[in-house]
Amino acid sequence: MRLHLLTLALVFGLVGTACGGSGSDDLSEAALEIYAGECAESTGDSLTVYSGRTENLIEPVIDAFECKSGVDVAVRWATSTQLALLIDEEGDRTAADVYLSRSPGPVGFLKANDRLAQLDQATLDLAEERYRDPDGEWVGFSGRKRVLVYNIDTVGEADLPNSVFELTDPGWKGKVAIPATNGSFIDWFTVFRDLHGNDVATQWLNDMVDNDAHFYANNRAIVEAVGRGEIEVGLVNHYYNYQEEAAIGDDHRARNHDLADDDIGSLLLITAAAIPAASDDVELAHTLINFLLTEPVQTYFTDETFEYPLASGVEPTAVLPTFDALEIGSVDFDALGGGFEETARIIEASGIQNQ
Amino acid sequence: MSRSTNGEDSAPLALRTIGIVLAITFAFPGAYLVWRNFTEDADPTGLLFSSATVEPMLRTLRLAVSVSVAAAGLGTSLAWFSTRTDLPMAQMWRVLLPLPLVFPTFIGAAAFIRTLNPGGLGNDVLSDFGVDQTPELSGFFGAWLVLTLFTFPYVYLPVAARLRQLPGSFEDSARVLGDSAARAVAKTVLPHISGSVAAGTLLVFLYTISDFGAVQLMRYDTLTRAIETNYLARPPTAFALSLVLMVMAALVVAAERLVSRRLPVMGAARSSRAVQYRLGRWRWPCFGAVFAAAALSLGAPTAALVDWASDGLLRERRGGRPLTIDADKVLEATVNTLTAGVLTALAAALAVIPIAYLLGRYRDRIGSLSHAVVIATFALPGILIALALRFWTIKAGPAGDLLYDTLALLIFAYTVRFASLAMGVTLVAVRSIPAPMRDVAATLGAKGPRRLASIDLPLMTPGILAGAGLVLMSTMKELPISLIVAPIGFPTLTTRIFGSFEDAFVAEAGIMAVVLVAISALLSWFLVLRRADHF
Repeated sequence: MRLHLLTLALVFGLVGTACGGSGSDDLSEAALEIYAGECAESTGDSLTVYSGRTENLIEPVIDAFECKSGVDVAVRWATSTQLALLIDEEGDRTAADVYLSRSPGPVGFLKANDRLAQLDQATLDLAEERYRDPDGEWVGFSGRKRVLVYNIDTVGEADLPNSVFELTDPGWKGKVAIPATNGSFIDWFTVFRDLHGNDVATQWLNDMVDNDAHFYANNRAIVEAVGRGEIEVGLVNHYYNYQEEAAIGDDHRARNHDLADDDIGSLLLITAAAIPAASDDVELAHTLINFLLTEPVQTYFTDETFEYPLASGVEPTAVLPTFDALEIGSVDFDALGGGFEETARIIEASGIQNQ
Repeated sequence: MSRSTNGEDSAPLALRTIGIVLAITFAFPGAYLVWRNFTEDADPTGLLFSSATVEPMLRTLRLAVSVSVAAAGLGTSLAWFSTRTDLPMAQMWRVLLPLPLVFPTFIGAAAFIRTLNPGGLGNDVLSDFGVDQTPELSGFFGAWLVLTLFTFPYVYLPVAARLRQLPGSFEDSARVLGDSAARAVAKTVLPHISGSVAAGTLLVFLYTISDFGAVQLMRYDTLTRAIETNYLARPPTAFALSLVLMVMAALVVAAERLVSRRLPVMGAARSSRAVQYRLGRWRWPCFGAVFAAAALSLGAPTAALVDWASDGLLRERRGGRPLTIDADKVLEATVNTLTAGVLTALAAALAVIPIAYLLGRYRDRIGSLSHAVVIATFALPGILIALALRFWTIKAGPAGDLLYDTLALLIFAYTVRFASLAMGVTLVAVRSIPAPMRDVAATLGAKGPRRLASIDLPLMTPGILAGAGLVLMSTMKELPISLIVAPIGFPTLTTRIFGSFEDAFVAEAGIMAVVLVAISALLSWFLVLRRADHF
């Protein structure tokens, strides 16, 4: 037995040595792209962020902020839903100073439960008006556009539709994947209801069910399945196909197709930043949100993460199709919180989850 | 400790006190859930009769029963073949067969799909042999298959541990008396392992009703999906449905107790020689079957993970987009994963021993209660345990603040979630300590802790190790508690895999998942070899 313990220790030792090496505190390449200046001296201040956006994408931004500001930032990474539930559970005892959500829904949930602080006008003004809360409780900092992802071997470009309403045609029977119970789809469908009215939205979903649309767990699973040719097309966020392509290259047989600019299928879903009402350093929290909306960070979001920048004056990266986002300023985004319940009910009643 | 050595005697007060404390401690998520149901005017009974609940609930039950039956059969036969026959490469199978347990289902099921579904890796290979399209795994069959393959170790590990303790002469003597081989096994071995099989199958059932990752990816709609989509949209509904899930779990736990109580109790012994039932001309067909089980459950998902990982490494080498992780990050996550996993396995193994004694030796009511609480908790969604813990630490005031954001609290949360995995096997181990042995020990003056250390523990070791192994692997793949309760800045492999996979950083997720499987294999190898030395 002693021998095996030794072997085990040896193996771990070897792994440890092999993995050692680069233990410096230097900024990663990605973080340097955002901020290449000298790091400020530590101010002794600290900030806690609850991030529903994932570490791979946001960590460089946080690192750059720490370096530039001298503020110490601690981040809890989890899903946006989990963190919204946590902030709600913690109430006025929450540790969170800033909350980052990958979709509007969880922010709407917190707003409806009176968990969010009013943001300063100066911070709100950094984003275009349509990308922020009319009541000033959250601000968008990047966007993911809804698209139709299609398999390039089984679907001809000429056959691609211009509107989600065409997908109820018999020609698309059994060929469309929908992430029906995923957060981004629920958000999207809530705006759909708001824009076209309940009857039209519900009818569309029921028609999709009748047309044998397939239910999938999430955007990533759809993009992967379309890439393999398991299903022809799917309604997803634009972002995943870029990632999948970047990850596995030519083996991935799927592309994004943009529906018409004024179609609900081209909606831009925002990722949002907010400050919990119980934050103990609202001022510093604003500094971080302002940083998210500076030009270098917005450029990072579009160049490295293929997202749409939302700060006034920053252009999307070249590979992204430019488009005039659907005018969603008129949409009552509170509906994303309060109207969720009805959306969930309609989706469940449609029976899509059993397809 | 106890006044007499008789197994039917009443339990010592100290032990009963510990039992009560444990029952209360493990009940905190359930108490939270009940509290939320009362304060948010949720309507669990009303929901029970709406079709929106009944249908997913029936689907959940149908899936759980089918997976339980299949996993019980698969786990038991694999355990028998790998421990009591001359199956080729038995040692290797003993290292590999527990491993499917370590795949977090959100990536394990996705990898499984990636390998086996149309257009996947398996399809590429098969197309060379003229198979154009592999069948699509989805819905009930897909969920059944992937869950059976990922959960059979819950049965395999305890049963294999039990089998290694049984004297080999059993089958032999039955055969000498003229029974066929199969009948010999059925008559002599099955009664001895039935308790372990039942305990393991219960875990499979509870895991299946609480699984979200696999059923979602296989597009089979169950109660957990309904819970998941309602957290933000209709919180009272989510809490009510979770309560339904917990009650369902409690009923099943009670049913298992009723059955297990009637099962024969057989003494354990350290078998003096390795038992090798000769398979004869069935040796290679059996090898083929075990190989197929391992290839499907372990090989299929690993193939996709390795493919994702190697694509990413090649891409970086060719100067493509750099990976977002480096060796330091992987090492940090690995060390954290191992630390938390090993500590939790220890804590869980210790926590269930008093309960196992109360119930197994003294048949104490407090024991039944604690046992039911510990096991039913396994069916609760992890996020609820995390939220409940936050709720109670805030209620606890300064004491809660002291614990908040500490490793101790994380280990505690994991233990509450997973002690159930060590409960059943430990109970079987306690019950199988032969009463004569205890009596002799008592006559010779060995009492309390000393008797525990010198007589009981050595006999219970295989069971406790199997339980600890189950806890270890489950902790290593746990997600919601790792995200919400872990101290800030304590990434584990699973949280890293999840973050990467969420945003389709499949290369990063693949690399870390391969590391996760590799360290589990190392741990499993270490345990198997250690046991081989020991017995």
